[in-house]
Amino acid sequence: MRSTVPGPTPAGDTELITRAAGGDERAMAQLYDRYGQVLYAVAYRIVGQRADAEEVVLDALAQAWREATKFEAGRGSVAAWLTTIARSRALDLVRARSRRDRITATAATEWPDASPAMGGWRSDPSSGVEYAERRTQVQLALESLSPPQRRAIELAFFEGLSQSEIAELLQEPLGTIKTRVRLGMQKLRECLRPFYFERGR
Amino acid sequence: MTQPESETLQDLAAAYALGALSAEEASRFEAYLAGSAEAQREVAEYREVAALLALGGPDAAPSPDLRERVLARMRPPAARPSAAPRRSQAPWGALAAGLVAAVGLGFGYVQLREVRDLRARLGSAMQQLAQTSDRLRAREATIDALFAPGVRMYQLTASGDPDPLIQFFWDQERNRAIVHGYKLGDLPAGRAYQLWFIKDGTPVPSVTFKPEPDGHVKVEQIPVPSDGKISAAAVTVEPESGSAQPTTPIRLVGNLERS
Repeated sequence: MRSTVPGPTPAGDTELITRAAGGDERAMAQLYDRYGQVLYAVAYRIVGQRADAEEVVLDALAQAWREATKFEAGRGSVAAWLTTIARSRALDLVRARSRRDRITATAATEWPDASPAMGGWRSDPSSGVEYAERRTQVQLALESLSPPQRRAIELAFFEGLSQSEIAELLQEPLGTIKTRVRLGMQKLRECLRPFYFERGR
Repeated sequence: MTQPESETLQDLAAAYALGALSAEEASRFEAYLAGSAEAQREVAEYREVAALLALGGPDAAPSPDLRERVLARMRPPAARPSAAPRRSQAPWGALAAGLVAAVGLGFGYVQLREVRDLRARLGSAMQQLAQTSDRLRAREATIDALFAPGVRMYQLTASGDPDPLIQFFWDQERNRAIVHGYKLGDLPAGRAYQLWFIKDGTPVPSVTFKPEPDGHVKVEQIPVPSDGKISAAAVTVEPESGSAQPTTPIRLVGNLERS
């Protein structure tokens, strides 16, 4: 399913993280070239502004650098690990600012603010499926969900809300929210399986 | 709750990977996860799905100089202040960044006399964050223990009562165990639950513990006797100070022999 890359085989993500654990900065730079844009997208979506989102990416990669020895390939890909770190750092930052203020603000506008810097990212060609293609697939997959399913999943991931908090926010039964999350994620999994970021090898 | 425990927990894999479980649900799920390779695969896969979610938003790219700033942060690892080698320090970087940002905003927008109030709020937010990160560290330590190689999970149950459940994680390499109890009933004053190992057919006393008001309990670093054959673990209600021999009927019991 995954498109193959011509030329010499590029280092796998797991190899890069192993080298980073050994103190190799260049490995970290390569990981940044592969996933910096994705991490920025996660951070930006959560914190809603550019300077903070960049700060989050910095913090997240600094943490990944310090904790590279703790990465375990069996638990998922390097990309998923990095994304998890970036999401946590972003949510920390939002919680440190008043969280309530922000939820009211973003409830009014669907997106945090105007779309920042289009393009300008030279994606690492060895990252397999092209960024733009993966993005299209993710958007199609999200569009295939019912709007309430998509909302529940996005509130959980980007607002850091638990299912109970989502139920409270939307004034709906907890069981309904749980079902939306579960079915929505199952559907996304079916659609996106060929487009996961590179698995650790 | 007529559904079997594992089935209910299995349904939580997607929500867990999204970070959408409450702290209590998450720790239950992690206990289950430790013993289920299938659940671990599911969670890993849902994490891949979650990692893609950000691509569904508006297109976004960081400034071109971010790459250089990322590398600059890594370059002088020895020269970084306090060298912060312990991971327990990790969350503070982000926290400090958040506070700096918040203080910056404060000075930009509010009258000076409001700054004091803002500081007080930051102080309490910081305290809350410190407590949260303490709790997280404790949970991470537990998870590390649960995922250690050679750890097996057993269940202790009560006959005729589906509610109380104890998950018994036995690290057979280190002869240590962790007990996670759920929905354990209230105890009269002065009484506690006591754990027993059935060693060579005889009960050997172990720790006593009292559940939280919600019936949950976690006991770590329980020594397991290694000088005989342990066939089962059981729980009775005893005086707080513990008993040398069980003085009441068994409340929960589970077989600890390898199946």
